[in-house]
Amino acid sequence: MTNQTTKELHSGSEEGNDIILRTTGLSKRFGKLEAVKDLNLELRRGEVFGFLGPNGAGKSTTVGMILGLIAPTAGNIELFGLKLNGNQWAALRRVGAVIEEPAFYPYLSGRDNLEALARAIGGISRAKIAEVLELVGLQERAADRYDHYSLGMKQRLGIASTLLRDPELIILDEPASGLDPAGTKEVRNLLPKLAHESRTVFLCSHLLHEVELVCDRVAIIKQGVMLACAPIHELLTQGQMLQIKVDDPAQAAAILSGLPWIKSVKMENDYLIVDIPKESASRVNAALAEHNIFASELASRNVSLESVFLQLTGGESGD
Amino acid sequence: MTRVLLFVLVSIIAILYLLLLAVSKVTIPAHGPPEIGAIQNLLGLPVALPFALSILSSFGSVLAVILIASSVGNEYNWRTIRTMLICSESRLRLLGAKLISAGIFILIGMVVGIATGFVMSLITTAIGGYAFDFSFATGGYLWGQFLQFWRTFYVLIPYVLLGFLFAIVGRSAMPGIALGIGIFFLESIVTTFMSLAGGWVAKIPGYLLAANVRAITALGNLPQNIGMGFGGANPLSQTPGVTHAFVTLAIYSLVFITVAFYLFHKRDVTG
Repeated sequence: MTNQTTKELHSGSEEGNDIILRTTGLSKRFGKLEAVKDLNLELRRGEVFGFLGPNGAGKSTTVGMILGLIAPTAGNIELFGLKLNGNQWAALRRVGAVIEEPAFYPYLSGRDNLEALARAIGGISRAKIAEVLELVGLQERAADRYDHYSLGMKQRLGIASTLLRDPELIILDEPASGLDPAGTKEVRNLLPKLAHESRTVFLCSHLLHEVELVCDRVAIIKQGVMLACAPIHELLTQGQMLQIKVDDPAQAAAILSGLPWIKSVKMENDYLIVDIPKESASRVNAALAEHNIFASELASRNVSLESVFLQLTGGESGD
Repeated sequence: MTRVLLFVLVSIIAILYLLLLAVSKVTIPAHGPPEIGAIQNLLGLPVALPFALSILSSFGSVLAVILIASSVGNEYNWRTIRTMLICSESRLRLLGAKLISAGIFILIGMVVGIATGFVMSLITTAIGGYAFDFSFATGGYLWGQFLQFWRTFYVLIPYVLLGFLFAIVGRSAMPGIALGIGIFFLESIVTTFMSLAGGWVAKIPGYLLAANVRAITALGNLPQNIGMGFGGANPLSQTPGVTHAFVTLAIYSLVFITVAFYLFHKRDVTG
Protein backbone atom coordinates (compact mmCIF):
# COMPACT_ATOMS: atom_id res chain seq x y z
CA MET A 1 0.00 0.00 0.00
CA THR A 2 1.28 3.39 -0.81
CA ASN A 3 1.28 5.50 2.29
CA GLN A 4 -0.35 8.61 1.06
CA THR A 5 -1.20 10.06 4.40
CA THR A 6 0.42 13.36 3.45
CA LYS A 7 -0.92 15.13 0.46
CA GLU A 8 -1.07 18.64 -0.72
CA LEU A 9 -4.02 19.27 -2.93
CA HIS A 10 -3.97 22.59 -4.54
CA SER A 11 -7.14 24.45 -5.13
CA GLY A 12 -8.29 25.67 -8.43
CA SER A 13 -7.37 28.79 -10.28
CA GLU A 14 -6.81 31.97 -8.35
CA GLU A 15 -7.56 34.17 -11.28
CA GLY A 16 -9.77 37.04 -10.27
CA ASN A 17 -9.78 36.07 -6.57
CA ASP A 18 -8.89 38.64 -3.96
CA ILE A 19 -6.41 37.17 -1.46
CA ILE A 20 -7.03 38.85 1.89
CA LEU A 21 -4.84 36.66 4.04
CA ARG A 22 -1.56 35.11 3.03
CA THR A 23 0.93 33.32 5.21
CA THR A 24 4.34 32.49 3.83
CA GLY A 25 6.62 30.07 5.60
CA LEU A 26 4.85 30.80 8.88
CA SER A 27 6.45 29.02 11.80
CA LYS A 28 6.26 29.16 15.57
CA ARG A 29 8.48 27.43 18.04
CA PHE A 30 7.82 27.33 21.80
CA GLY A 31 11.12 26.14 23.20
CA LYS A 32 11.67 22.72 21.68
CA LEU A 33 8.13 22.38 20.45
CA GLU A 34 7.53 23.41 16.87
CA ALA A 35 3.86 24.30 17.00
CA VAL A 36 3.58 25.54 13.42
CA LYS A 37 5.99 24.64 10.65
CA ASP A 38 6.35 26.48 7.40
CA LEU A 39 2.66 27.15 6.90
CA ASN A 40 1.62 28.59 3.54
CA LEU A 41 -1.98 29.62 3.46
CA GLU A 42 -4.15 31.83 1.33
CA LEU A 43 -7.61 33.05 2.09
CA ARG A 44 -9.86 34.52 -0.56
CA ARG A 45 -12.41 37.22 -0.07
CA GLY A 46 -15.94 35.94 0.41
CA GLU A 47 -15.14 32.33 1.17
CA VAL A 48 -15.84 30.32 4.28
CA PHE A 49 -12.55 28.62 5.00
CA GLY A 50 -12.24 25.71 7.37
CA PHE A 51 -9.00 25.19 9.24
CA LEU A 52 -9.04 21.70 10.64
CA GLY A 53 -6.77 19.66 12.77
CA PRO A 54 -6.67 17.46 15.84
CA ASN A 55 -6.02 18.91 19.27
CA GLY A 56 -2.57 20.42 19.48
CA ALA A 57 -2.23 20.66 15.71
CA GLY A 58 -1.37 24.35 15.76
CA LYS A 59 -4.70 25.88 14.80
CA SER A 60 -5.01 28.29 17.70
CA THR A 61 -1.33 29.17 17.47
CA THR A 62 -1.82 30.06 13.81
CA VAL A 63 -4.84 32.18 14.67
CA GLY A 64 -2.88 33.84 17.45
CA MET A 65 -0.12 34.78 15.02
CA ILE A 66 -2.61 36.17 12.50
CA LEU A 67 -4.16 38.33 15.22
CA GLY A 68 -0.85 39.61 16.52
CA LEU A 69 -1.15 37.88 19.88
CA ILE A 70 1.75 35.56 19.20
CA ALA A 71 4.96 36.55 17.47
CA PRO A 72 5.97 34.18 14.67
CA THR A 73 9.38 32.60 14.86
CA ALA A 74 9.69 32.78 11.10
CA GLY A 75 7.66 33.64 8.04
CA ASN A 76 5.32 36.42 7.05
CA ILE A 77 1.68 37.21 7.38
CA GLU A 78 -0.04 39.55 4.97
CA LEU A 79 -3.49 40.72 5.87
CA PHE A 80 -5.34 42.81 3.30
CA GLY A 81 -2.05 43.23 1.52
CA LEU A 82 -0.33 44.66 4.59
CA LYS A 83 2.52 42.93 6.35
CA LEU A 84 1.53 42.50 9.96
CA ASN A 85 4.83 43.41 11.50
CA GLY A 86 4.58 46.96 10.27
CA ASN A 87 0.91 47.84 9.90
CA GLN A 88 -0.80 45.75 12.47
CA TRP A 89 -3.77 47.89 13.46
CA ALA A 90 -4.48 49.10 9.93
CA ALA A 91 -5.12 45.49 8.96
CA LEU A 92 -6.48 44.10 12.22
CA ARG A 93 -9.14 46.76 12.54
CA ARG A 94 -10.84 45.02 9.62
CA VAL A 95 -10.89 41.71 11.45
CA GLY A 96 -13.29 40.37 14.05
CA ALA A 97 -12.25 37.32 16.00
CA VAL A 98 -13.21 34.96 18.78
CA ILE A 99 -10.53 32.63 20.06
CA GLU A 100 -11.68 29.45 21.74
CA GLU A 101 -14.05 30.19 24.60
CA PRO A 102 -15.14 33.83 24.44
CA ALA A 103 -13.89 35.92 27.32
CA PHE A 104 -15.77 38.86 28.71
CA TYR A 105 -16.02 40.65 32.01
CA PRO A 106 -18.20 38.44 34.23
CA TYR A 107 -19.62 41.29 36.29
CA LEU A 108 -20.84 43.24 33.28
CA SER A 109 -23.95 42.55 31.24
CA GLY A 110 -23.72 41.35 27.67
CA ARG A 111 -24.49 44.84 26.41
CA ASP A 112 -22.00 46.49 28.74
CA ASN A 113 -19.31 44.10 27.63
CA LEU A 114 -19.92 45.04 24.02
CA GLU A 115 -19.87 48.70 24.99
CA ALA A 116 -16.50 48.20 26.66
CA LEU A 117 -15.17 46.67 23.45
CA ALA A 118 -16.79 49.39 21.39
CA ARG A 119 -14.94 52.04 23.41
CA ALA A 120 -11.67 50.22 22.87
CA ILE A 121 -12.29 49.99 19.13
CA GLY A 122 -13.69 53.51 18.82
CA GLY A 123 -16.45 54.82 16.57
CA ILE A 124 -19.03 52.15 17.34
CA SER A 125 -22.52 53.45 18.08
CA ARG A 126 -25.05 52.03 20.52
CA ALA A 127 -27.31 51.33 17.57
CA LYS A 128 -24.62 49.04 16.17
CA ILE A 129 -24.39 47.21 19.49
CA ALA A 130 -28.15 46.70 19.49
CA GLU A 131 -27.98 45.49 15.89
CA VAL A 132 -25.37 42.81 16.56
CA LEU A 133 -27.19 41.66 19.69
CA GLU A 134 -30.31 41.20 17.63
CA LEU A 135 -28.43 39.37 14.92
CA VAL A 136 -27.21 36.75 17.38
CA GLY A 137 -30.52 36.59 19.22
CA LEU A 138 -29.34 38.02 22.53
CA GLN A 139 -31.30 41.24 22.67
CA GLU A 140 -33.62 39.97 25.37
CA ARG A 141 -30.79 38.85 27.62
CA ALA A 142 -28.48 41.74 26.87
CA ALA A 143 -28.98 43.30 30.30
CA ASP A 144 -28.12 40.13 32.17
CA ARG A 145 -24.69 39.61 33.65
CA TYR A 146 -22.29 37.69 31.48
CA ASP A 147 -21.61 35.12 34.18
CA HIS A 148 -25.30 34.25 34.13
CA TYR A 149 -25.16 33.28 30.47
CA SER A 150 -25.21 29.72 29.23
CA LEU A 151 -22.28 28.52 27.17
CA GLY A 152 -24.25 28.91 23.97
CA MET A 153 -25.14 32.47 24.86
CA LYS A 154 -21.52 33.22 25.64
CA GLN A 155 -20.50 31.92 22.25
CA ARG A 156 -23.16 34.04 20.59
CA LEU A 157 -21.99 37.10 22.45
CA GLY A 158 -18.51 36.28 21.23
CA ILE A 159 -19.79 36.19 17.66
CA ALA A 160 -21.62 39.46 18.27
CA SER A 161 -18.36 41.04 19.40
CA THR A 162 -16.73 40.09 16.11
CA LEU A 163 -19.40 41.99 14.19
CA LEU A 164 -19.08 45.31 15.99
CA ARG A 165 -16.77 46.87 13.46
CA ASP A 166 -18.34 45.32 10.35
CA PRO A 167 -15.24 43.26 9.73
CA GLU A 168 -14.19 42.02 6.33
CA LEU A 169 -12.68 38.95 7.91
CA ILE A 170 -14.15 36.99 10.80
CA ILE A 171 -11.98 34.45 12.55
CA LEU A 172 -13.74 31.91 14.70
CA ASP A 173 -11.62 29.50 16.66
CA GLU A 174 -13.69 26.56 17.85
CA PRO A 175 -16.97 28.52 18.04
CA ALA A 176 -18.95 25.47 19.09
CA SER A 177 -16.44 24.27 21.65
CA GLY A 178 -18.10 22.76 24.69
CA LEU A 179 -21.61 23.29 23.39
CA ASP A 180 -24.39 20.75 23.51
CA PRO A 181 -26.11 19.82 20.22
CA ALA A 182 -28.65 22.62 20.60
CA GLY A 183 -25.92 25.16 21.21
CA THR A 184 -23.89 23.82 18.31
CA LYS A 185 -26.89 24.18 16.06
CA GLU A 186 -27.41 27.77 17.24
CA VAL A 187 -23.86 28.65 16.30
CA ARG A 188 -24.01 26.74 13.04
CA ASN A 189 -27.17 28.62 12.06
CA LEU A 190 -25.35 31.87 12.59
CA LEU A 191 -22.46 31.05 10.32
CA PRO A 192 -24.25 31.57 6.99
CA LYS A 193 -25.35 34.99 8.23
CA LEU A 194 -21.74 35.91 8.81
CA ALA A 195 -20.48 34.97 5.39
CA HIS A 196 -21.59 37.02 2.48
CA GLU A 197 -20.05 38.47 -0.65
CA SER A 198 -17.67 40.87 0.93
CA ARG A 199 -17.12 39.11 4.24
CA THR A 200 -14.80 36.17 4.70
CA VAL A 201 -14.96 33.61 7.48
CA PHE A 202 -11.96 31.69 8.76
CA LEU A 203 -13.31 28.85 10.85
CA CYS A 204 -11.16 26.66 13.06
CA SER A 205 -13.04 23.65 14.22
CA HIS A 206 -12.83 19.98 14.86
CA LEU A 207 -16.57 19.54 14.35
CA LEU A 208 -16.15 18.13 10.90
CA HIS A 209 -19.82 17.73 10.12
CA GLU A 210 -20.36 21.44 10.70
CA VAL A 211 -17.36 22.34 8.61
CA GLU A 212 -18.54 20.11 5.79
CA LEU A 213 -21.90 21.89 5.83
CA VAL A 214 -20.70 25.47 5.83
CA CYS A 215 -17.19 25.70 4.40
CA ASP A 216 -16.16 26.24 0.80
CA ARG A 217 -12.54 25.27 1.27
CA VAL A 218 -10.61 23.59 4.03
CA ALA A 219 -7.05 23.11 5.12
CA ILE A 220 -6.05 20.22 7.33
CA ILE A 221 -3.12 20.63 9.68
CA LYS A 222 -1.40 18.16 11.95
CA GLN A 223 1.51 18.80 14.30
CA GLY A 224 2.01 22.19 12.73
CA VAL A 225 2.24 20.92 9.18
CA MET A 226 -0.44 21.47 6.54
CA LEU A 227 -1.51 18.17 5.06
CA ALA A 228 -4.11 19.32 2.58
CA CYS A 229 -5.77 22.46 1.33
CA ALA A 230 -8.57 22.26 -1.21
CA PRO A 231 -12.25 22.94 -1.85
CA ILE A 232 -14.53 20.61 0.06
CA HIS A 233 -15.91 19.00 -3.06
CA GLU A 234 -12.42 18.18 -4.30
CA LEU A 235 -11.47 16.57 -1.00
CA LEU A 236 -14.62 14.50 -0.98
CA THR A 237 -14.37 13.34 -4.58
CA GLN A 238 -10.65 12.75 -4.79
CA GLY A 239 -11.13 9.09 -4.17
CA GLN A 240 -13.62 6.41 -3.45
CA MET A 241 -14.38 4.23 -0.45
CA LEU A 242 -15.35 0.65 -1.05
CA GLN A 243 -17.08 -1.59 1.44
CA ILE A 244 -16.23 -5.23 0.73
CA LYS A 245 -17.34 -8.44 2.38
CA VAL A 246 -15.24 -11.58 1.80
CA ASP A 247 -14.88 -14.97 3.45
CA ASP A 248 -11.28 -14.38 4.47
CA PRO A 249 -10.96 -10.69 5.26
CA ALA A 250 -7.45 -11.02 6.70
CA GLN A 251 -6.04 -12.50 3.52
CA ALA A 252 -7.95 -10.02 1.39
CA ALA A 253 -6.61 -7.15 3.49
CA ALA A 254 -3.07 -8.42 3.12
CA ILE A 255 -3.44 -8.69 -0.65
CA LEU A 256 -4.97 -5.25 -1.06
CA SER A 257 -2.49 -3.57 1.31
CA GLY A 258 0.33 -4.75 -0.91
CA LEU A 259 -1.03 -2.89 -3.92
CA PRO A 260 0.69 0.49 -4.41
CA TRP A 261 -2.37 2.28 -5.79
CA ILE A 262 -4.53 1.36 -2.75
CA LYS A 263 -4.55 4.27 -0.24
CA SER A 264 -5.67 2.41 2.83
CA VAL A 265 -7.36 -0.75 4.02
CA LYS A 266 -9.05 -1.22 7.34
CA MET A 267 -11.44 -3.63 8.99
CA GLU A 268 -14.78 -2.41 10.22
CA ASN A 269 -16.97 -5.07 11.75
CA ASP A 270 -17.11 -7.78 9.09
CA TYR A 271 -16.22 -5.49 6.22
CA LEU A 272 -13.06 -4.30 4.57
CA ILE A 273 -13.12 -0.56 3.98
CA VAL A 274 -10.79 0.26 1.14
CA ASP A 275 -9.77 3.75 0.07
CA ILE A 276 -9.00 3.75 -3.65
CA PRO A 277 -8.66 6.20 -6.52
CA LYS A 278 -11.87 7.02 -8.32
CA GLU A 279 -13.25 4.53 -10.78
CA SER A 280 -10.96 1.74 -9.49
CA ALA A 281 -13.53 -0.62 -8.00
CA SER A 282 -13.13 -3.08 -10.86
CA ARG A 283 -9.37 -3.24 -10.28
CA VAL A 284 -10.00 -4.17 -6.65
CA ASN A 285 -12.34 -6.90 -7.77
CA ALA A 286 -9.80 -8.18 -10.27
CA ALA A 287 -6.99 -8.12 -7.70
CA LEU A 288 -8.99 -10.23 -5.28
CA ALA A 289 -10.13 -12.61 -8.01
CA GLU A 290 -6.51 -13.28 -9.02
CA HIS A 291 -6.08 -14.80 -5.58
CA ASN A 292 -9.34 -16.71 -5.72
CA ILE A 293 -11.02 -14.39 -3.30
CA PHE A 294 -14.47 -13.34 -4.33
CA ALA A 295 -16.48 -10.60 -2.70
CA SER A 296 -19.96 -11.43 -1.52
CA GLU A 297 -20.68 -7.71 -1.16
CA LEU A 298 -18.99 -4.77 -2.83
CA ALA A 299 -20.48 -1.32 -2.43
CA SER A 300 -19.33 2.25 -2.71
CA ARG A 301 -19.38 4.26 0.51
CA ASN A 302 -19.93 7.97 0.79
CA VAL A 303 -16.73 9.81 1.52
CA SER A 304 -17.17 12.22 4.35
CA LEU A 305 -14.89 14.97 5.48
CA GLU A 306 -14.39 12.96 8.62
CA SER A 307 -13.04 9.99 6.72
CA VAL A 308 -10.71 12.23 4.71
CA PHE A 309 -9.60 13.92 7.90
CA LEU A 310 -8.95 10.66 9.71
CA GLN A 311 -7.10 9.26 6.74
CA LEU A 312 -4.83 12.31 6.48
CA THR A 313 -4.21 12.67 10.18
CA GLY A 314 -3.59 9.02 10.74
CA GLY A 315 -6.76 8.46 12.69
CA GLU A 316 -6.28 11.18 15.33
CA SER A 317 -9.62 12.59 16.28
CA GLY A 318 -10.29 16.25 16.63
CA ASP A 319 -12.06 15.76 19.97
CA MET B 1 -13.75 46.90 42.61
CA THR B 2 -13.07 50.63 42.79
CA ARG B 3 -16.21 51.24 44.81
CA VAL B 4 -15.29 48.45 47.21
CA LEU B 5 -11.80 49.81 47.69
CA LEU B 6 -13.15 53.31 48.23
CA PHE B 7 -15.55 51.98 50.82
CA VAL B 8 -12.71 50.16 52.55
CA LEU B 9 -10.61 53.31 52.58
CA VAL B 10 -13.39 55.43 54.03
CA SER B 11 -14.16 52.77 56.60
CA ILE B 12 -10.54 52.45 57.67
CA ILE B 13 -10.21 56.18 58.18
CA ALA B 14 -13.50 56.44 60.03
CA ILE B 15 -12.73 53.48 62.24
CA LEU B 16 -9.25 54.78 62.96
CA TYR B 17 -10.62 58.12 64.06
CA LEU B 18 -13.21 56.50 66.27
CA LEU B 19 -10.64 54.21 67.82
CA LEU B 20 -8.32 57.10 68.52
CA LEU B 21 -11.23 58.99 70.01
CA ALA B 22 -12.07 56.05 72.21
CA VAL B 23 -8.44 55.68 73.32
CA SER B 24 -8.13 59.36 74.10
CA LYS B 25 -11.29 59.22 76.16
CA VAL B 26 -10.43 56.10 78.14
CA THR B 27 -8.55 57.84 80.91
CA ILE B 28 -7.09 61.29 81.00
CA PRO B 29 -5.34 61.68 84.32
CA ALA B 30 -4.09 65.10 85.14
CA HIS B 31 -0.58 64.09 84.36
CA GLY B 32 -1.21 61.42 81.79
CA PRO B 33 1.38 60.25 79.31
CA PRO B 34 2.23 62.82 76.63
CA GLU B 35 1.09 60.38 73.90
CA ILE B 36 -2.51 60.83 75.00
CA GLY B 37 -2.16 64.52 74.35
CA ALA B 38 -0.67 63.78 70.96
CA ILE B 39 -3.58 61.51 70.12
CA GLN B 40 -6.01 64.20 71.10
CA ASN B 41 -4.14 66.60 68.85
CA LEU B 42 -4.42 64.13 65.98
CA LEU B 43 -8.15 64.30 66.22
CA GLY B 44 -8.11 68.03 65.98
CA LEU B 45 -8.85 70.05 62.87
CA PRO B 46 -5.36 71.47 62.22
CA VAL B 47 -3.91 67.98 61.90
CA ALA B 48 -6.83 66.49 60.01
CA LEU B 49 -5.29 66.86 56.58
CA PRO B 50 -1.73 65.79 57.44
CA PHE B 51 -3.09 62.84 59.39
CA ALA B 52 -5.33 61.77 56.52
CA LEU B 53 -2.41 62.03 54.11
CA SER B 54 -0.31 59.95 56.43
CA ILE B 55 -2.96 57.25 56.48
CA LEU B 56 -3.16 57.40 52.71
CA SER B 57 0.57 56.88 52.33
CA SER B 58 0.35 53.67 54.35
CA PHE B 59 -3.07 52.04 54.08
CA GLY B 60 -3.57 53.83 50.81
CA SER B 61 -0.52 52.15 49.33
CA VAL B 62 -1.97 48.75 50.09
CA LEU B 63 -5.30 49.59 48.50
CA ALA B 64 -3.65 51.19 45.49
CA VAL B 65 -1.56 48.07 44.88
CA ILE B 66 -4.70 45.94 45.07
CA LEU B 67 -6.41 48.25 42.60
CA ILE B 68 -3.73 48.24 39.94
CA ALA B 69 -2.84 44.55 40.30
CA SER B 70 -6.50 43.61 39.99
CA SER B 71 -7.06 45.95 37.09
CA VAL B 72 -4.28 44.35 35.07
CA GLY B 73 -4.15 40.86 36.53
CA ASN B 74 -7.83 40.12 36.19
CA GLU B 75 -7.57 40.63 32.46
CA TYR B 76 -5.45 37.50 32.48
CA ASN B 77 -7.59 35.72 35.07
CA TRP B 78 -10.74 36.29 33.05
CA ARG B 79 -8.84 35.81 29.76
CA THR B 80 -10.25 39.09 28.52
CA ILE B 81 -6.70 40.14 27.68
CA ARG B 82 -7.00 38.50 24.27
CA THR B 83 -10.39 40.03 23.61
CA MET B 84 -9.11 43.48 24.50
CA LEU B 85 -5.86 43.16 22.58
CA ILE B 86 -7.74 42.15 19.44
CA CYS B 87 -9.80 45.32 19.76
CA SER B 88 -7.00 47.66 20.73
CA GLU B 89 -4.85 49.73 18.45
CA SER B 90 -1.73 48.78 20.35
CA ARG B 91 -0.74 46.88 23.45
CA LEU B 92 1.03 49.83 24.95
CA ARG B 93 -2.01 52.01 24.50
CA LEU B 94 -4.18 49.48 26.31
CA LEU B 95 -1.74 49.20 29.17
CA GLY B 96 -1.25 52.94 29.32
CA ALA B 97 -5.00 53.41 29.52
CA LYS B 98 -5.17 51.02 32.46
CA LEU B 99 -2.38 52.79 34.25
CA ILE B 100 -3.86 56.24 33.70
CA SER B 101 -7.27 55.01 34.82
CA ALA B 102 -5.78 53.57 37.97
CA GLY B 103 -3.93 56.84 38.59
CA ILE B 104 -7.16 58.80 38.29
CA PHE B 105 -8.95 56.44 40.68
CA ILE B 106 -6.08 56.72 43.16
CA LEU B 107 -6.31 60.50 43.04
CA ILE B 108 -10.05 60.34 43.54
CA GLY B 109 -9.50 57.96 46.43
CA MET B 110 -7.02 60.34 47.99
CA VAL B 111 -9.45 63.23 47.74
CA VAL B 112 -12.20 61.10 49.27
CA GLY B 113 -9.78 59.96 51.97
CA ILE B 114 -8.86 63.50 52.87
CA ALA B 115 -12.48 64.56 52.88
CA THR B 116 -13.32 61.64 55.14
CA GLY B 117 -10.52 62.55 57.49
CA PHE B 118 -11.68 66.12 57.64
CA VAL B 119 -15.28 65.13 58.31
CA MET B 120 -14.21 62.70 61.01
CA SER B 121 -12.09 65.41 62.53
CA LEU B 122 -15.14 67.68 62.63
CA ILE B 123 -17.09 64.90 64.32
CA THR B 124 -14.40 64.18 66.89
CA THR B 125 -14.00 67.88 67.59
CA ALA B 126 -17.73 68.16 68.18
CA ILE B 127 -17.78 65.05 70.36
CA GLY B 128 -14.80 66.33 72.31
CA GLY B 129 -16.62 69.57 72.98
CA TYR B 130 -13.94 71.70 71.39
CA ALA B 131 -14.61 74.85 69.45
CA PHE B 132 -14.50 74.85 65.69
CA ASP B 133 -11.56 77.07 65.02
CA PHE B 134 -10.48 77.35 61.39
CA SER B 135 -7.87 80.00 61.96
CA PHE B 136 -5.21 77.42 61.13
CA ALA B 137 -6.39 77.35 57.52
CA THR B 138 -4.07 80.01 56.25
CA GLY B 139 -2.86 80.24 52.70
CA GLY B 140 0.48 78.84 53.75
CA TYR B 141 -1.14 75.90 55.51
CA LEU B 142 -3.34 75.08 52.56
CA TRP B 143 -0.48 75.39 50.11
CA GLY B 144 1.58 73.11 52.35
CA GLN B 145 -1.17 70.50 52.36
CA PHE B 146 -1.59 70.82 48.62
CA LEU B 147 2.11 70.04 48.20
CA GLN B 148 1.90 67.18 50.70
CA PHE B 149 -1.05 65.76 48.72
CA TRP B 150 1.15 65.46 45.66
CA ARG B 151 4.08 64.17 47.69
CA THR B 152 1.80 61.47 49.06
CA PHE B 153 0.70 60.56 45.53
CA TYR B 154 4.34 60.49 44.52
CA VAL B 155 5.28 58.00 47.24
CA LEU B 156 2.39 55.74 46.24
CA ILE B 157 3.64 55.48 42.68
CA PRO B 158 6.56 53.05 43.19
CA TYR B 159 4.42 50.55 45.09
CA VAL B 160 1.63 50.87 42.56
CA LEU B 161 4.07 50.23 39.73
CA LEU B 162 5.56 47.30 41.64
CA GLY B 163 2.12 45.68 41.87
CA PHE B 164 1.57 46.56 38.22
CA LEU B 165 4.82 44.92 37.18
CA PHE B 166 4.27 41.72 39.12
CA ALA B 167 0.72 41.38 37.84
CA ILE B 168 2.11 41.46 34.31
CA VAL B 169 5.02 39.18 35.11
CA GLY B 170 2.76 36.67 36.83
CA ARG B 171 -0.10 37.12 34.33
CA SER B 172 -2.50 37.30 37.23
CA ALA B 173 -3.75 39.65 39.93
CA MET B 174 -2.42 37.54 42.78
CA PRO B 175 1.33 37.95 42.18
CA GLY B 176 0.84 41.68 41.85
CA ILE B 177 -1.12 41.93 45.08
CA ALA B 178 0.99 39.46 47.03
CA LEU B 179 4.37 40.79 46.01
CA GLY B 180 3.37 44.43 45.93
CA ILE B 181 1.97 44.32 49.44
CA GLY B 182 4.46 41.75 50.65
CA ILE B 183 7.42 43.89 49.77
CA PHE B 184 5.71 46.84 51.43
CA PHE B 185 5.64 44.94 54.72
CA LEU B 186 8.77 42.86 54.37
CA GLU B 187 10.99 45.85 53.82
CA SER B 188 10.63 46.73 57.47
CA ILE B 189 11.95 43.35 58.55
CA VAL B 190 14.72 43.26 56.01
CA THR B 191 15.90 46.80 56.67
CA THR B 192 15.92 46.12 60.41
CA PHE B 193 18.45 43.36 59.93
CA MET B 194 20.42 45.46 57.53
CA SER B 195 20.54 48.35 59.95
CA LEU B 196 21.72 46.06 62.72
CA ALA B 197 24.45 44.64 60.50
CA GLY B 198 26.28 47.93 60.41
CA GLY B 199 28.92 48.96 57.90
CA TRP B 200 27.96 49.35 54.29
CA VAL B 201 25.04 46.97 54.74
CA ALA B 202 23.39 49.44 57.07
CA LYS B 203 23.42 52.00 54.26
CA ILE B 204 21.44 49.82 51.87
CA PRO B 205 18.01 50.69 53.34
CA GLY B 206 18.66 54.25 52.22
CA TYR B 207 18.40 53.00 48.65
CA LEU B 208 15.28 50.94 49.15
CA LEU B 209 11.74 52.18 48.88
CA ALA B 210 10.54 52.56 52.45
CA ALA B 211 13.23 54.86 53.81
CA ASN B 212 12.83 57.19 50.89
CA VAL B 213 9.06 57.17 51.26
CA ARG B 214 9.51 58.04 54.91
CA ALA B 215 11.78 60.93 54.01
CA ILE B 216 9.06 62.48 51.87
CA THR B 217 6.08 61.72 54.10
CA ALA B 218 7.96 63.21 57.06
CA LEU B 219 7.50 66.59 55.37
CA GLY B 220 3.85 66.29 56.39
CA ASN B 221 4.60 67.76 59.81
CA LEU B 222 2.68 65.33 61.91
CA PRO B 223 3.16 65.61 65.67
CA GLN B 224 6.26 63.84 66.91
CA ASN B 225 5.98 60.19 67.94
CA ILE B 226 2.89 59.70 65.89
CA GLY B 227 3.90 57.96 62.73
CA MET B 228 1.72 56.05 60.39
CA GLY B 229 4.83 54.33 59.01
CA PHE B 230 2.93 51.12 59.29
CA GLY B 231 4.79 48.52 57.33
CA GLY B 232 7.71 49.79 55.35
CA ALA B 233 9.98 52.21 57.10
CA ASN B 234 12.22 50.92 59.84
CA PRO B 235 12.85 53.53 62.52
CA LEU B 236 16.36 52.19 63.00
CA SER B 237 17.48 53.08 59.53
CA GLN B 238 18.67 56.52 58.69
CA THR B 239 16.28 58.66 56.73
CA PRO B 240 17.86 59.88 53.51
CA GLY B 241 17.65 63.44 52.33
CA VAL B 242 14.58 64.68 50.49
CA THR B 243 16.29 65.14 47.12
CA HIS B 244 17.87 61.70 47.41
CA ALA B 245 14.43 60.30 48.20
CA PHE B 246 12.74 61.90 45.21
CA VAL B 247 15.43 60.74 42.83
CA THR B 248 15.54 57.20 44.23
CA LEU B 249 11.78 56.75 44.02
CA ALA B 250 11.78 58.18 40.51
CA ILE B 251 14.40 55.66 39.41
CA TYR B 252 12.48 52.76 40.91
CA SER B 253 9.28 53.94 39.25
CA LEU B 254 10.98 54.29 35.90
CA VAL B 255 12.53 50.84 36.10
CA PHE B 256 9.26 49.18 37.14
CA ILE B 257 7.20 50.83 34.43
CA THR B 258 9.78 50.23 31.70
CA VAL B 259 10.12 46.54 32.48
CA ALA B 260 6.35 46.16 32.75
CA PHE B 261 5.64 47.78 29.40
CA TYR B 262 8.47 45.90 27.71
CA LEU B 263 7.23 42.53 28.93
CA PHE B 264 3.66 43.28 28.00
CA HIS B 265 4.67 44.41 24.54
CA LYS B 266 6.94 41.48 23.77
CA ARG B 267 5.31 38.43 25.32
CA ASP B 268 3.00 36.07 23.48
CA VAL B 269 -0.57 35.99 24.68
CA THR B 270 -1.68 32.40 24.47
CA GLY B 271 -4.46 30.38 26.03
